[in-house]
Formats: sequence, C-alpha cells, structure tokens
Amino acid sequence: MVAFFRGKLAFAFKVLFLAGISALLVLLLISALGQKQYAIGIFLILVVIGLNFTYLTKVSIPLKFFYPGLIFLLGFVVAPIVFTLTMSTYNYKTGNYIGKTEAITQIQKLAIEPDASGSTFDIIVGKYNGTESAILASDTVKKQYFISTYDKRIDLNVTDIKVNEYQVAREAYNFKALADAELAGADKLLSKSRFFYTSEFFIALEGFDVGALYRQKLNFLAIQDAFQNIATGAIYKDNGKGNYANVDAPGEILEPGWRAPVWFENYSKLFLDPKVREPLIRVFIWTVVFAVSSVLTSFAFGLLLALALNKPIRGRRIYRSILILPYAMPSVMSILIWGGMFNTEFGAINQLLGTDIAWFQSVTFARVAVIVVNLWLGFPYFYLVTSGALQAIPSELNEAAAIDGASPRQIFSKITLPLLLRILSPLLIASFAFNFNNFNLIYLLTGGGPKSTLDGDIAGATDILISYTYQIAFGSFTQDLGLASAISVVIFLLVASISLYGIRKSKVLESFV
Amino acid sequence: MNWLRENLWRHVVGIFMVLFAIFPLYLVVISSINPSGSLQVTSFIPREFSWKNYQMLFNDPTIPYLTWMKNSLVISVSVALLSVVISASSAFAFSRLKFRGKKSGIQLLLLIQMFPAILALSAVYVIMERVAVFAPHFGLGTQPGLLLVYLGGAMGVNIWLLKGFVDSIPAELDEAAKIDGASAMQTYWLIFVPLAAPVLAVVSLLSFIGTFNEFILARLFLVDMGSRTIAVGLQGFIGGQYSQNWGPFAAGSLIASVPIVIIFLSLQKYIISGLTAGSVKG
Repeated sequence: MVAFFRGKLAFAFKVLFLAGISALLVLLLISALGQKQYAIGIFLILVVIGLNFTYLTKVSIPLKFFYPGLIFLLGFVVAPIVFTLTMSTYNYKTGNYIGKTEAITQIQKLAIEPDASGSTFDIIVGKYNGTESAILASDTVKKQYFISTYDKRIDLNVTDIKVNEYQVAREAYNFKALADAELAGADKLLSKSRFFYTSEFFIALEGFDVGALYRQKLNFLAIQDAFQNIATGAIYKDNGKGNYANVDAPGEILEPGWRAPVWFENYSKLFLDPKVREPLIRVFIWTVVFAVSSVLTSFAFGLLLALALNKPIRGRRIYRSILILPYAMPSVMSILIWGGMFNTEFGAINQLLGTDIAWFQSVTFARVAVIVVNLWLGFPYFYLVTSGALQAIPSELNEAAAIDGASPRQIFSKITLPLLLRILSPLLIASFAFNFNNFNLIYLLTGGGPKSTLDGDIAGATDILISYTYQIAFGSFTQDLGLASAISVVIFLLVASISLYGIRKSKVLESFV
Repeated sequence: MNWLRENLWRHVVGIFMVLFAIFPLYLVVISSINPSGSLQVTSFIPREFSWKNYQMLFNDPTIPYLTWMKNSLVISVSVALLSVVISASSAFAFSRLKFRGKKSGIQLLLLIQMFPAILALSAVYVIMERVAVFAPHFGLGTQPGLLLVYLGGAMGVNIWLLKGFVDSIPAELDEAAKIDGASAMQTYWLIFVPLAAPVLAVVSLLSFIGTFNEFILARLFLVDMGSRTIAVGLQGFIGGQYSQNWGPFAAGSLIASVPIVIIFLSLQKYIISGLTAGSVKG
C-alpha cells in the first residue's frame, strides 16, 4: 500500500488524472471565452494553471490538501460574495438588465414607427435572382407592384407579373416564392428582416402575407455615442447611469437601458429614498422582533423542559425521544404542514380552538402564527443544549448553596440561570443570527403576507429582511438586483458583527465543555 | 404526597410539551390514512383507514413523486459524498499541518462561512445564468449546476465541522508515522482517513440532511417538474391548495421525512456536539 504512493505507476495515475481534469476545464474555458464570458473564462484559466502547478511541483504541501476545497470556496462562495458587492454598486434591475451594446441594438430595433397613413402591402416571401431574400409586394388599391430586397426596390409593371383574382401579384420574373416548409424554418429571421422601400421607410412583415411600412425613429450616432430623433432632431446622450437621456429634458430616457455603475446610489436610497426607506424600516423592526421573540420563546420553553426533565423521573426517555421529533423532521415539510393547520376553513388549529380566525390575513394573527411555528421548530434544540449545559454545572455549587440555606428558587435565579446564560449565550446569539435570516419559515408559511399591494408596496407584514430582499430581486413586479445586493451587504454586516461578538463569547464556552 | 410535590409539575410540563410537539405529526399521520384526503379533520381519532393517498402518490401521473424522491436522493447523496471527500483534506491540513498563514486562513474561513448563502442568492443566480450560456449542462436550471453550488456552500461549514472533530483525534499516530518517514500525503491516506472514517461518515450524513432539506436554491434552479427535488416538488404541489391536495401531501411528506428522522435520531450525539460548536441546523 505504501509503495503505491511512491511508484512510477502512481505517478502515471496522477498525471493521467490531472490531464483528464485539465482537458475538461480547458474545453469549458474555451467555450466560455467563445461566448464572451471573460470573467468566468479567466477564472477557469487560473484554475487549470494552479491545478497543474500545485500537483506537479513541490512548492507547497499544504496547498495540495487545500486546492480542491479552495477552488469550490472561491468559485461558489467567494465569487458570489464579490459579485454581490459589485452588483450593489450597479443599477442592475428590470430595464437595465443587459449590456450596453445589446441595449443599443434593442433601442434601434424598438425605435420604429409606422407610416402615418398606415400603408400595408400584400406580400409573398421568396428569393430574387435565386439567392437574395426578397418579397413580392402588391398595393391592390394603387395598383403598385414591386420586388423588395434588403437594400433595393425593383418596381414592376402590371405586365411583368401574374395576379390572382384579388389583384395580388403571385408571380414575377426572377422571383421564386418560398415553399411553406421553408417559410416555417425562416420564421425567426423574417420577423426581424427589413425590406427596402425608400431611404426613409422600410417594410416589416406582419405574418407571411402582409407587410407594413415603417420608418426608423431614432438614428444611432456611433461617433458621438448618442441617438438622434430623425423627425425632431433631439439628441439622446449616455447619462452615465445606464440610459440614453434627452439632452434638453434629462427625464426623458430611451428604453431599454443597460447596467451601469451608480456607485453608492443603491446604498443612499436605503436611507434617503422614502419609498425604499419606509418599508425597509418596517421590515427591519419586525425582523428584530421576530428573531428576538423566537429565540426567547424557544429558549424559555427549552429551559423549562430541561429543568423539568433534569431528574430521572419515570418516562424521561420517552419524553425525550418524542420531544426531539420536531427538530429531527425536515423543516420544509413541517412548515408546510403547519401551513395547512392554520388554514381558515378546514385547518386543525381553528377546529381545535373552535374559532374561525383567518390566520394569514390578519397582521397580528399571522405574526403570532409565525412565532408559534418557529417555537415548535426551535424549542427541542434549546431543550437539548440546556440539558447538556445543566449537566455541566457542578452539583457542588447547588449543594453548597442549599447548605447555606438558599431556597430552590434562589438557587435557580442566583446560580443556575446566570451560569446557564453564560454558557449558552453564544448559542443564543447564533440562534438569533440564524432566525434573522430564517427565509424558509417566512417564505413557506406566509409568503411574507398579509400585504397590501395597493401602492406597489411589496413588503408584507411578516416579511423579514431576507424574504423582502428576495422579493426585490426575484419578485413579479420589477426585479432590482442592485438594490437587493445592497440590502444583502447591509444584512451581512449586521449579522457578521453579531456573530463575531458571539464567537468572542464562545471562548467562555470552551472552558466549560 | 412528597412524590407529588417533587414530580407532578415535571410530568405536567413534559406531557404538555409532548402534546405540542406531537400534534402536527399525529395530524399528518391520520390525514395520510384518511380516505377522504381532505384537510378538514372530522375526528381526531381515525375511524377509517385506507392506503388511498399513498397509492395516489405512486400511481397518479400528475404527481411525479418517485422522480422527486430520486432527484433528492441523487443530489443529496452526491453532495454528502463529494463534499466530504473535498473538505476532509482541507480540514486535515488545518488541523495537522504547520504552514504560514494558518491562523489567518482559519479566521478567513470563519468569516466567509458567516455570509449566509441566501444573501448571495442573486449573485449565484446571475453567475449560473452566465455559465448556462456556454455550458448548458452545468448552468442555471440543471441538477449538476445545483450540485456545484451546494458543494461550494457546504465547503465552509464542513471544513469547520471536520476540523473540530479532527482536533479531538489524538495526533500521536500521525506523528509516529511522520517519524517513520511517511510523507504528508501518506499520513493522510493511510493513517488519518481510516482513523477519521466514523467522523467523516457523520459529517457526510449531516450534509445529506442539510441538502435534503434545502429549499430555496433548489426552487430557484429547478424549474422543470421532472427535475425538482422533493422539497420543491411538494411545495409546488401543496402551494396554496391545501384543501385539495392535503391527503397525498401528508402521505408524501411522511415518507420523505422518515429516513431523515431516523438518520437524525441515530446521529443525535454528534449533531448536538456539532451544534454546540456553533453551527445551527437550517
């Protein structure tokens, strides 16, 4: 076995293995670069170089152990964190979702207007001179017939064509209609095609039989990086915030925009824009209330149980194995089950209480329900850890106090509880941090509701920061990844400082356990 | 009389909390065998018994329950195995090797691990959207893509947990191996891995539970009915329509929960020590 690590065979295996992984990565990075995903491409290049460097040289032994884990951490944890930071300085949202070049193409495509008289033509799609895409167009009223390709128009006399009973041209010299099968295949291309009419107007297809006259409303001036309205002459320039805006009326912007750096605008919005700030403060307050009351209720019930079952009473094992069940259940399932139990008409809770409360429609009841469910999910954990901590308190302390004449109540409040709190405070803090971001509970139980969507306000009464952020990023109205990222960064700073404080405290823990 | 004063309150508290703990679970069990399949509980003591809901789960083509279950198992088992294979060597290095920057490396890991994956959700989404452009098999909407994201996310916690466990394994054996001239790699494979096998198994099972229970990434990634995991599948199935689908849902969530509960109960000891080390089950 030891020889395996030294022999030539082992070396051959290693080289083969490295070559295989490198080949796969190189294939990936080539297609990444081919699709202009440069950031990912460069990351993959570095991964390949690092991989071979690490395992073919003896520069660093520890790196050989760290490399696979390091790559996953960098790729799927660190990169998203860095990307979140970057996005939080961009106006990355609906309407500014694409790159600039793409946005320019889109604006050009969208900036067309129909001819004032609304002229349409009956058309046949086909080829001119055998190869050129073209249409054979007929205006049956004006008796005007022509063939139009992408760049020219060939007017036809009535004698050059064959018409059907509606006076629509069916055949013309040098023009060959496309068969139906070919038409279906060219559908996508045709819908984007512009056929020449005059230097100002072009014909766009509306289905396979009708074409309408359009003209370009805006012209892109590549040198000035600006759009010009052909009719009015108005100039739209890059406003530095991801949109082309009218030079004379900055509020008038062209859609779509692109994602552009706005630096701290997303952050300043959190504090200065009342439309963002007010729901955010409301949600923040509820988040803290929710997290604190979840921790306190779970801890209180856990503590009570731990005290009650701290003596070898009859049936303690049975109690214990049942009490742990809520914690052992997959929480997604439990939350969904509770969701059914809180149903207004048929739910077991209303039936048990003999009420008909619309739990998730009332702000107060929805909040109570959320905390009750979280208590159910959380108390077994605190029961378990408090039981453990109770064992860790030396019994001599209690005995000595009892001899000195302290009542059981005094022993509890003066000795047991302070010691417990000292041992468990890191866990209480960790639990607070966890509940602060307890997305699943809110999302699966109430969906953040109840909410009034009257004024486009998407923050519900039970929404906590993280579920609110999720709605900002992936909601159905508008998606603002920039703002969502900024909130994420703020949440991280809050939670990380709380957790760091907890870790400092956990040094106390080590001396006990 | 003395017994009463001493112990009665203990039983009162115990029984009250047991009822609270077991009520939803009891309800699911009786709902799952209730032939009417409705959310409404006509009686808290079951009068009829039928496998109808369970049969519906496995036979109704509109509920791809078995596919969801298979997806969940494949993804969770892959994460459980791969994440431990990848993170074990890092944990070993952190625990046993001496190198420059070790302390700051550990602190950095701790800091990174504190950034909840859900905060970077939109970033992960956009990144995988871009990966999908050039590698459609690993990008958004695919199970391998989800697997990669899970592996990355599991790394921080797993290295951290494993390091804690590994620190408690005495180092004499690998020091002896070192004296006998074994390289770090040999010590790792021949001494450490066999020695730490039970610990690796525990962490691997913990990853299994965590992945099986993961909801939001799976929800965001897996859009197709046939590629969903059990958590996403059942959520979509019940989503708002409690009254219609309750019976089969109860049966489905029971079946999905049983293996997790069994694993959890058998790992109780380790989970609790892992939890006191500062990580909380999600």
